[in-house]
Amino acid sequence: MASVFLGINDRTFTYSFTAGRSEFQGTGFRNPMDFALGPDDLVYVVNRSYESRSDGTRINLFRIGEGKEEYITEFGSYGDQPGQFIWPMAIALDKDTNVYVTDEWTHRITIFNKDGEYQRHWGIHGSGDGELDRPAGITISKDETVYVVDSRNNRVQMFSLDGKHLGQFGSAGEGEGEFNLPWGICLDKEGNVFVADWRNDRVQSFTSDGKWLATFGRPGTGGDCSIAREQGGMAYVDVPVGQFNRPTGVCVDDDGDIYIADWLNNRVQVLTSEGRFITEFNGDAALSALGIDKIKSNPDMIRQRNGVRDFTPEKVLWAPCAVRVDRRGRVMIADTSRHRFQVYQKNGEPVLV
Amino acid sequence: MPDEKIALMAHLLRRAGYGASRDEIEARVAQGYDSVVEELLNPGDDPGIDEDLMYRAYPSYFDKAAIETGQTEWVYRMINNKYQLKEKMALFWHTILCAGDNKVDNARTTAIQIDKFRDMGMGNFKDMLMMLSTDPAMLYYLDNIESHKTAVNENYGRELLELFSIGVGMDNEFNYTEDDVKACARAFTGWNLAPTIPVFPYGRTPFEFRFDPADHDYGEKTFLGETGNWDGGDIVDIICKQPATARFVARKLYDFFVADEPPVPSWRLSAPRDLAAIQALEKAYFDSGYEITAMLRVLFHSDFFKDESVRFAKVKSPADVVIGTMRMVGDHTEPKPGLFFVAMEPKYMGLDLMNPPTVEGWHMGREWINSGSLIDRINFASSMLGNTDLPGVKKIVDRLMGLGDVPTSEQFLNGCLDLVGPLDLAEETRSQLTEHLDAGGALKHGTESERNDFTKRTGEALKMIATTSEFQFG
Repeated sequence: MASVFLGINDRTFTYSFTAGRSEFQGTGFRNPMDFALGPDDLVYVVNRSYESRSDGTRINLFRIGEGKEEYITEFGSYGDQPGQFIWPMAIALDKDTNVYVTDEWTHRITIFNKDGEYQRHWGIHGSGDGELDRPAGITISKDETVYVVDSRNNRVQMFSLDGKHLGQFGSAGEGEGEFNLPWGICLDKEGNVFVADWRNDRVQSFTSDGKWLATFGRPGTGGDCSIAREQGGMAYVDVPVGQFNRPTGVCVDDDGDIYIADWLNNRVQVLTSEGRFITEFNGDAALSALGIDKIKSNPDMIRQRNGVRDFTPEKVLWAPCAVRVDRRGRVMIADTSRHRFQVYQKNGEPVLV
Repeated sequence: MPDEKIALMAHLLRRAGYGASRDEIEARVAQGYDSVVEELLNPGDDPGIDEDLMYRAYPSYFDKAAIETGQTEWVYRMINNKYQLKEKMALFWHTILCAGDNKVDNARTTAIQIDKFRDMGMGNFKDMLMMLSTDPAMLYYLDNIESHKTAVNENYGRELLELFSIGVGMDNEFNYTEDDVKACARAFTGWNLAPTIPVFPYGRTPFEFRFDPADHDYGEKTFLGETGNWDGGDIVDIICKQPATARFVARKLYDFFVADEPPVPSWRLSAPRDLAAIQALEKAYFDSGYEITAMLRVLFHSDFFKDESVRFAKVKSPADVVIGTMRMVGDHTEPKPGLFFVAMEPKYMGLDLMNPPTVEGWHMGREWINSGSLIDRINFASSMLGNTDLPGVKKIVDRLMGLGDVPTSEQFLNGCLDLVGPLDLAEETRSQLTEHLDAGGALKHGTESERNDFTKRTGEALKMIATTSEFQFG
């Protein structure tokens, strides 16, 4: 694990395991864009796939744990009819485990029950109150407010579970509380809202009713540690921290630490609630249980793998779109272009890595 | 008669790119021909499109699991790259330095080669050959991975000379011998690939070049009359200084941008159709130290390129038909569903991008046309141009309404031809189209009903123009 410690040494993370494999149907994923954590280690995954293999566009339900990956079911399909989607982007669950999926092309939110049966959809294309233009991230609060990132309208809109418009905040721009094609969204345990301000290369946080609180990060890809140094830390290696290149997903754990999928930098960064850099994950993937099954059934692959000396290209994250932390401190990363999940463990006590 | 400046600029933008809307052509005329040429020859370092928006809409373009994904991404870039000549040069080199994914079977590796053609296409020819000689797709496609110090495979060495740089012959003489092929192949032994991570379980990983010194033939070689312990880099140096290489690059550029030349294998016995033009390009090649940009500068400023006789004298390639039509009608100018189906059209017309039929590439010119491809070409172009909901067609309708309150059929037809070319038609075809328009009554657009009818008839006229033989030329 690539780590840079900048005075924040009371938290350690260890690579835990990799889950999933590349599949268009059934026991694997295809361009997982987002996922939602359900009860009993269940994970609902949005698979985008692509137009010429639209059979891979679906939601699938897995139980994910170390050494065990159980495929449960899949639902939804490519199209613009009820229960279908063209460009599915993000997913959220309400307290009854109903599943809400955004679609950036049809501009609507489709709702399934926990077993994947289509319930209804809502969302009208436009820029007026309650209308949507490219809905991306979605999250649902404890009081059942649905927050939808209304990307091309550069705002966040709030809805009831049945799609009644409740409010909105944000506008186009680069200033505080302004957005440029935002993508991911999450809530912390106090109900504050965090938005991945995608084309402004930053994350912003807000109160639950949309009052701006803070901005994290700035654009960048290369070798500038000035932010970390300004904040009193010491970099052991010269890597860019606190800089983002089109951040996609964001989540906050119960300690208030912020996890940001730094899409075009091919990593996930972890910041404190004050924005101090903690560490970054670049990827440590090993073979998943499903991956091992696949290889074992293809002896040619075994022979081919045995000749490879450097597996670095297979280990690293590639354009990750989403990150979530579960109640057990497992940091799950949707490794979108590798069609899998990489999972790290946030340790309660420091662990020698 | 069409405006000459418009006609010349349209010609430049068709050949040095995939055409342009009339608005852009007029803006470019105002900019000035020489300035436009310099802009084309000096593109920026940025990709010329908003790649982040593309990847957000099409995340599968990152890993390119299937060749169709790579083809679709390329078509998106062709339609939208503001540096059009970079895209045209990527296709130019792809039609010459052929590697096919049907053998490579690793779409991202194949697509990376196209990316290099795009980035280096107007650079130095020596750099291009060095890139090619270390390009994983090429080394795999032409079996250099099977070429060992103790068992040489001559495939890459042979094609490097025959099809990629020198050509079999010129001026009735052979350019190299079988011994040169063997020496060339020996010099590239050990230019190989690292073992590749297999596709299962996480998708493909692109191939990587690896030089294996233990498998390289360090022995003395005589190549094109020069003797030494040559390796691949030395071979490329020797190739680039050959007059035959200058001839090869010059004829290829002339063939692609000006007028059809016969295929390379016949060049030993067939002289260039315009020897003076080829010699001007050869001079630029040597004067500049093998710079492609210098050759293109000479070409685009030359009388032989600007001459009216070469305009609409080349059969459009399938890429010209598809991309040129898309740029004319203004569709897929930003990510949206449906691009895959557009991107497969060149294949249906005979140009399976990233999958050349052989290492010799495609037989171009009039060979693009056969009974099957012609139907596809006509159907595609007419369906697009006849769609009056598309923004580029709407602009054509608006401009035609500007011809007057009730343009005559002849004025209307001339307007249509001007806006899709400017294109000229044979007199018989023109008469038939005019008669058809006359039969439809006056072309009024004063009321909403008349405007709807005018728009509908514009779409019909454009569809008919797309079916003419003249429309097949660019």
